[in-house]
Amino acid sequence: MQIDVKNLTYVYSESSRDLSVKALDNVSLTINEGEFFGIIGQTGSGKTTFVQHLNGLIKIAKDKGEIQIGEFCLQDKKCDFKGLRSKIGMVFQYPEHQLFAETVFEDVAFALKNFEKELSESQMEERVRRAIELVGLNYEQVKDKSPFELSGGQKRRVAIAGVIVSRPEILVLDEPAAGLDPVGKRDFLSLLHSLHKNFVKTIIIVSHDMNLVAEHCTKTAVFSHGKICAVGSPKEIFSDYNLIESLSLDLPTTAKVVRELSKKGINIDCDLTVKDFVRAVKERGAKL
Amino acid sequence: MKDVAFGQYYPATSFVHKMDARMKILAVIAYIVAVFIVKQFQFMGFALCLLFVLVATAFAKVPFLRVLKSIKAILFLIILSGILQLFFNTSGKVIFEWQFIKITDVGLLNAGFIIARISLVVLGASLLTLTTSPVELADGIESLLYPLKFIKFPVHEFALIMSIALRFIPTLLEETDRIIKAQKARGADFESGNIFKKIKSLIPILIPLLISSFRRADELADAMDARCYSGSKNRTRYKKLTFTFRDLIGFLAVAGLITGIVFLNISGFLAVVL
Repeated sequence: MQIDVKNLTYVYSESSRDLSVKALDNVSLTINEGEFFGIIGQTGSGKTTFVQHLNGLIKIAKDKGEIQIGEFCLQDKKCDFKGLRSKIGMVFQYPEHQLFAETVFEDVAFALKNFEKELSESQMEERVRRAIELVGLNYEQVKDKSPFELSGGQKRRVAIAGVIVSRPEILVLDEPAAGLDPVGKRDFLSLLHSLHKNFVKTIIIVSHDMNLVAEHCTKTAVFSHGKICAVGSPKEIFSDYNLIESLSLDLPTTAKVVRELSKKGINIDCDLTVKDFVRAVKERGAKL
Repeated sequence: MKDVAFGQYYPATSFVHKMDARMKILAVIAYIVAVFIVKQFQFMGFALCLLFVLVATAFAKVPFLRVLKSIKAILFLIILSGILQLFFNTSGKVIFEWQFIKITDVGLLNAGFIIARISLVVLGASLLTLTTSPVELADGIESLLYPLKFIKFPVHEFALIMSIALRFIPTLLEETDRIIKAQKARGADFESGNIFKKIKSLIPILIPLLISSFRRADELADAMDARCYSGSKNRTRYKKLTFTFRDLIGFLAVAGLITGIVFLNISGFLAVVL
């Protein structure tokens, strides 16, 4: 499913004039199917507000823009939001805070029970098993445990299993790696990668971690003060040093090295992933 | 979720905002007393109270609509008490009759009286919370309750509990909003079904909320501990409450209001007697 956002505007507390803030200001963006899409920008730039529009958690105010996702028109009052939400999974910041059920099984099955009431017991179990295994947990070991006795990383996995269990085509993640240690982060990202390859078609990720964006995203949008100020591949975005600096964002490590080297007259041409960076450096070294 | 107008602080720098919180609390109590001692059907007294609120609002630089909004929260209560007065008052002259419904002139007056009384009380009280931040309010109450210390009442702890509770209302609202969204994204449905189903559908919100409240309480306790917080003993304040000329003016205004109403009551009484 392709996502088309046209002229989207969103204003917080519109009723009181002195407190109202334009969280989104005439935003237009197209996200193609199959993309691993990164959204970056400072805190308060409207990223979260934007992604919450994508599955109708924030409704579009009258005449404040259009969003078309597959066959769903989100500005339409009669839009089937439940159907939409089963197609677009949304993982919030600290998703483990949404756990509530007595057992891991119950919690993961929650979305299934809401979206696909017609499933039989065995079908449901199969789906839950698959989701739990997809996030890298042992189904038999965790299914009867209380989600609250798991470790932090496991909790987060369970929470994500609870989202992907409905087989969404698009997965939206808001700061998914926040609060994870380096190993947890790496595991988590390889999990996302395998999900992207085998399970969900499109992944949209909101992040402050530029290394993550450079390493994994195929395309990136930069938000600032409720507007999109650049869209492009990580390579295009992170070679616009003026833009990145003016928004007080950080460069990914590879881009920093590339920049320093180019100051010394050594030009490295790579797509800013570590692997490609190493390749480019080796090539360059061979030339010398 | 975020539009809880009742008791929300309206930041501004004004005469009323700068008044001592204690004076404001006492003034509101006195004002409420004034509203309640207005004798029955003495609408002039209410006019006086309304005038007082209007002048105070002007001095507070709060848009009057904002103050009026506070009535919305208890609109149902106001209408209900009005209707009860209207229909169940049988004394006085009947001015409208249809089947078993009888509306009398006394009932009508009573309804108007009750509605005016409740509305005026709420307007005054909301003016206090609009112009006084929760922290100031808690400080003010603590200071006013200070005499209770002599009967070993833990005034400081009580005030602390109160200010923590007030402080966390917006945080918990935000948290609730987030959890609702997270569960909605998983297809949770809070609207359809009968009442039991609706109550059951709240579990996925309430449990995470409860857990996060405990987590927050733990974190807060740790943070206070780390700053060596040890209760009220030898504690100094960052903001000291002091009475100023503003408070004197506020005091005089309230005193004037009460005098006016007492005067109206007595003059009405005298008019009847003489």
